[in-house]
Amino acid sequence: MNALRIGWIAIRELIHERFFYILIGFLGASIAFSLLLGQMTYAEKAKLTFDFMLGSTHLILVLFSIFMGVTLFQRELLSGSVSMILSKPISRASFLLGKFLGQIGVQAAMAFCMGALTLGICSQFDGNFSVLATAQTVALIYAESVVLTALTYAFAVNTGSLTTALLTLALFSVGHMRQVVDSAFRAGENPWSWRLGRTLIPDLEIFNMKSLASYGQSLAGTEFFWAVAYALLCLGFYLALALVTFERKDIAT
Amino acid sequence: MTQDIQIKSVTKVFETGIRSRKTAVDNLTLDIPRGEVVGLLGANGSGKSTTLKMILGFLRPTSGNILIAGVTAGTRASRTHLGYLPENPRFQRFLRGRSILEYIGRLHRMSGAGLSRRCTELLELVGLEHAGGERVQGYSKGMIQRLAIAQALINRPKILIFDEPMSGLDPLGRMEIRNLIARIHQEMPEATLFFSTHILSDAEALCSSVALLKQGKLKVNCPIAQLIQNEPENYELTLTNVSPALQTELAAAHSLTASPLGFSFSLNGTAALQKEIGRLSAAGAKILSVYTKRGSLEKTLFSDSARETA
Repeated sequence: MNALRIGWIAIRELIHERFFYILIGFLGASIAFSLLLGQMTYAEKAKLTFDFMLGSTHLILVLFSIFMGVTLFQRELLSGSVSMILSKPISRASFLLGKFLGQIGVQAAMAFCMGALTLGICSQFDGNFSVLATAQTVALIYAESVVLTALTYAFAVNTGSLTTALLTLALFSVGHMRQVVDSAFRAGENPWSWRLGRTLIPDLEIFNMKSLASYGQSLAGTEFFWAVAYALLCLGFYLALALVTFERKDIAT
Repeated sequence: MTQDIQIKSVTKVFETGIRSRKTAVDNLTLDIPRGEVVGLLGANGSGKSTTLKMILGFLRPTSGNILIAGVTAGTRASRTHLGYLPENPRFQRFLRGRSILEYIGRLHRMSGAGLSRRCTELLELVGLEHAGGERVQGYSKGMIQRLAIAQALINRPKILIFDEPMSGLDPLGRMEIRNLIARIHQEMPEATLFFSTHILSDAEALCSSVALLKQGKLKVNCPIAQLIQNEPENYELTLTNVSPALQTELAAAHSLTASPLGFSFSLNGTAALQKEIGRLSAAGAKILSVYTKRGSLEKTLFSDSARETA
């Protein structure tokens, strides 16, 4: 229950400071981009706008999950304001979970709004769009952002702001290039460090179906289910890591 | 006497590097009795904040243990008895003063009309009844400090832990917070107040006893009256309207110092003071002030020869 109270304050904090600015910025950039494309091309205008909007949704949610995670959770740890809350009869897990739930709640609202805006703007063009494919794509982008948020919290408990952001961005990059790195290593000798990395680093390409959606193709129900199950598995692992470390951490600020 | 806080042989060692360690608190044993106002004194880096953070459970002792009202420190049960004021309180800037108190109250499982009444009471107590509806971003440092004191009191705690409650405030703000703490103790006489400070006059004004830490070790632990009792009775008189004859007479008997207001000199002992006041009045001098010198408390606490009464 306390986690929900802390989560609600986190939602209000995010909404108050950044949420609407990002959505307004996204809407403005999308409209400007589609108007610009209208002047430059005719045939591919719908597809390019659709790709641009899905790409922007992905980028914004990834950056939001990393930098807001650092701001919302770690800034409070480093500034010492966490001590006011943790001196109350609540567990550390409630505090961390509250912040996490608040952040992924705002990310869910952002993903929904951006998906709706994408469909709203692209439905003005004659294109081959599937509502189901768009919804699945946005849902998987959201799932990826939730995994990255958990990863950010796991790093944030142990390291500074800059290190947390850099490490999470590094794992985001490697997570999308896992198969490339894997095949490179497979050509030579497969070292133990990469085998360990493969176990710990999430395969984020599982959540990437933007190119399918831009041709109006959706995933089969079972494929979508396994992608969501994989996201939940990664989320559970990184969040448990963050919780266990936070529970044992000395808070000296 | 019931002990609200029992610190038993507590040591805290920080690992500051791969092979370097720093002992912040060294084998500290201290009991804080119920209803007392106890000051934890010490210079910066003496281990005051580390001690308070171990009481709150933010830091785990390397060895030893701490009991809060009989419950092991750091557990949720121990924190139900506590009210805490951090050294630099920070709040979500977009929240209003009253909303913050309601939020903190809900974390203590308070709700409804009871919570609302308690928030009104506390806003009145700390003098923020006019600002409770304003966003915290518009508050001054003194107002934030008062709001932080209010949030510490929301659950009517048995034990109050204040970390440097007067630090960073201007003289007026310090006086306000000092008066507020004195009022809190008056209204909640059964509550124990344990606070850290390096400002001795604050400890002298508020505490019934003090504990002094030096490099993590307890150097002094005794009632403040005991420290003051041992002080020599030193007074400083400032005079004006001093005739040349009286000036010559005083200069021969005392070390007379000229000041913008007239002259001043020091005296030892109450009997000598009473005798001198009678003589000076008869000679037509006007006594501007009689100041009791208590500077030696500072020397007592921070000198290397501080008695080990623990």
